[in-house]
Amino acid sequence: MTLDVLRRGILPLLLIAEIVCFAPVCGVSGASPAEFFESSLAFGSDLAVRAAPLALLAFGMTLVLATAGVDLSIASAAALVAGVMSLCQPGMSFWWTAVPLGIGLGLLLGAFNGWLIAGLDVPPIIATLGTLFFYRGLAEIVLGDRENAPFGDVPGYGWLGSVSGALILSGIVLIGGGLYFTWSRWRRELLMLGGNRVAARYAGIPVFWRLFQVYALMGLLAGLAASCFTARDGSVKASSWTGYELQVIVAVILGGTRVSGGNASIFGSTMGVLLIVVLDEGLHGLSFTYPRALPFDVSHLQYLLMGLLLVGGVWLNTHLGAKRVAASR
Amino acid sequence: MGHPLSRLSPLAVRQMMLTFGNLLLLAYIFYCTQLRGQGSFLQELSGFGPNAAPRLLGALALTGIIFTGAIDLSVGAILAVAGTVFGILYHYHASPGACFAACVLTAWALSAWNGLLVRVLRVPAIIVTLGGLTFYRGVALVAADLCIPAYSEQISVQGDAYHLPGTHWAGWILLAALVVAVVAEHRSKWPRLWLALGCSPDACRLKGLSPGGVLQSAFLCGGVFLGLAALTETCNSLTIEPARLGLNFELMAIGAVVLGGTNIFGGEGSYLGTALGGVFLYFVGKALLYAGVSPNWHSAVQGALILLVIGCDCALHRRRRRLEELR
Repeated sequence: MTLDVLRRGILPLLLIAEIVCFAPVCGVSGASPAEFFESSLAFGSDLAVRAAPLALLAFGMTLVLATAGVDLSIASAAALVAGVMSLCQPGMSFWWTAVPLGIGLGLLLGAFNGWLIAGLDVPPIIATLGTLFFYRGLAEIVLGDRENAPFGDVPGYGWLGSVSGALILSGIVLIGGGLYFTWSRWRRELLMLGGNRVAARYAGIPVFWRLFQVYALMGLLAGLAASCFTARDGSVKASSWTGYELQVIVAVILGGTRVSGGNASIFGSTMGVLLIVVLDEGLHGLSFTYPRALPFDVSHLQYLLMGLLLVGGVWLNTHLGAKRVAASR
Repeated sequence: MGHPLSRLSPLAVRQMMLTFGNLLLLAYIFYCTQLRGQGSFLQELSGFGPNAAPRLLGALALTGIIFTGAIDLSVGAILAVAGTVFGILYHYHASPGACFAACVLTAWALSAWNGLLVRVLRVPAIIVTLGGLTFYRGVALVAADLCIPAYSEQISVQGDAYHLPGTHWAGWILLAALVVAVVAEHRSKWPRLWLALGCSPDACRLKGLSPGGVLQSAFLCGGVFLGLAALTETCNSLTIEPARLGLNFELMAIGAVVLGGTNIFGGEGSYLGTALGGVFLYFVGKALLYAGVSPNWHSAVQGALILLVIGCDCALHRRRRRLEELR
């Protein structure tokens, strides 16, 4: 019982420790209660805006990892979707041309991954490694060396990159999707599929259809994340968001989802995303506030800490989890 | 009596297909250079070593590790650390030999360290090396910042002697490494043990083998190839950029390994297949250049090729695998 509580409490505790450490260097001031409230609100807003697209992707990645799969192509798919969207005419019509086109394209890219994995039985890591190159290459064909920035000229599009937009969009996906995932039969089927595919087939679970659904949903979320990214950054180029797939995988694994499938936690993944975003934001704040705090560029610490967080977090999760199982026997 | 090809193993069929594809691409490059006068064929061949050696050596390093069912996603970041060590020593006027040795040893030591961590922590290799991917990149950046005064994101390396392994020796290093790997695959017990571990860790344990020890030996041997990959990659360029050196290297190396027929989950594969897969990807890039295709298309075509070859292979063997799964 104690071990279980400790295991579940590690991530929130780590997150609180990170926030307490980094809040002062990110502009949170305690000079007066009003100033503290205002600066905390600004810090929280920054975190929400940065975390929203990652949280959308992490939700999808949690489901993918639950089935013992992985999707390495999400950042490339987001760049391709954003690149295609950037070709549409800015203006009010962008909302009923580019946005549905982007979301539909994301769904199509995800469905293609799903067909490769479920239909042709290509191992997920190989299929999505191939589509990582393929989608990024298509983004290079669409955009070339240009950096397209039509998003600022679309009325109301900036809302998707604002605090309210980020909170509403990620809230709908994480809370609505999380509740559905927690209580539905779909969750049990996905976990069984990840835990033991043969048993799942014998139990009558439609393996092909479930895998296809999961990867198509991941693509759809990559399309939504592309809208958030473009609303926040205002532009897109072919190399945009390279490496985000690893950040998302790190966040999900850090949250306790097993890479070998059969176990997943939306709450854990959300915690993982927040841990990474707070770390990123905090180190940027540190390098800005105290540029000479260390004999090297402080922002480089992000790489070191992210690696340590991942390995340490997974080790603690497995170690404590194993002890819990042993204790319950 | 089936078709003669059906008696061959899927791995042998894949190698035959890749050999045929490589010859076809080579013939196309020959046609472009000799008949269309788009450069010199010999010059193109002499450029193969320096340009293809790092990626092929990296793919050879990963092959043995993937045999065991593990993977090393941090190879690109390890390259960055090894290159940074090379650059730091160059900055302090170390001799070329010392720089080469330090570069190779650093990559080997980090690969061995990965193996040790996987064994001791009992955390999947994909997690340990995913953590290593970011951690080692950070180590490279911090080391460059700390050791080089007024460091400006890149280290310039002048002097022909420092570039010999990347320019003049790269082809020979690759050839020697490939011969050693193929001979070891047929003569040494270690690649067989790695394949056995990839097939069934439980069977290895019952046979009295230590799965952790076998896995660590794969990382140790892979480290030697990785050291050579780091050396040829670092010495091939006039500048070393710790933030960019080896970026996406792991993905291209894994692409060559799986294209060569090695099962990503372990237990099946060959070094020769990896070499053929890597050469195929290199020649595809060259053929696209000669065909006048914009460089923007290269990544898409390479991705599509990986998908096409592996998709066809998986679809052909789908029925057999499904039956094995349900048996």
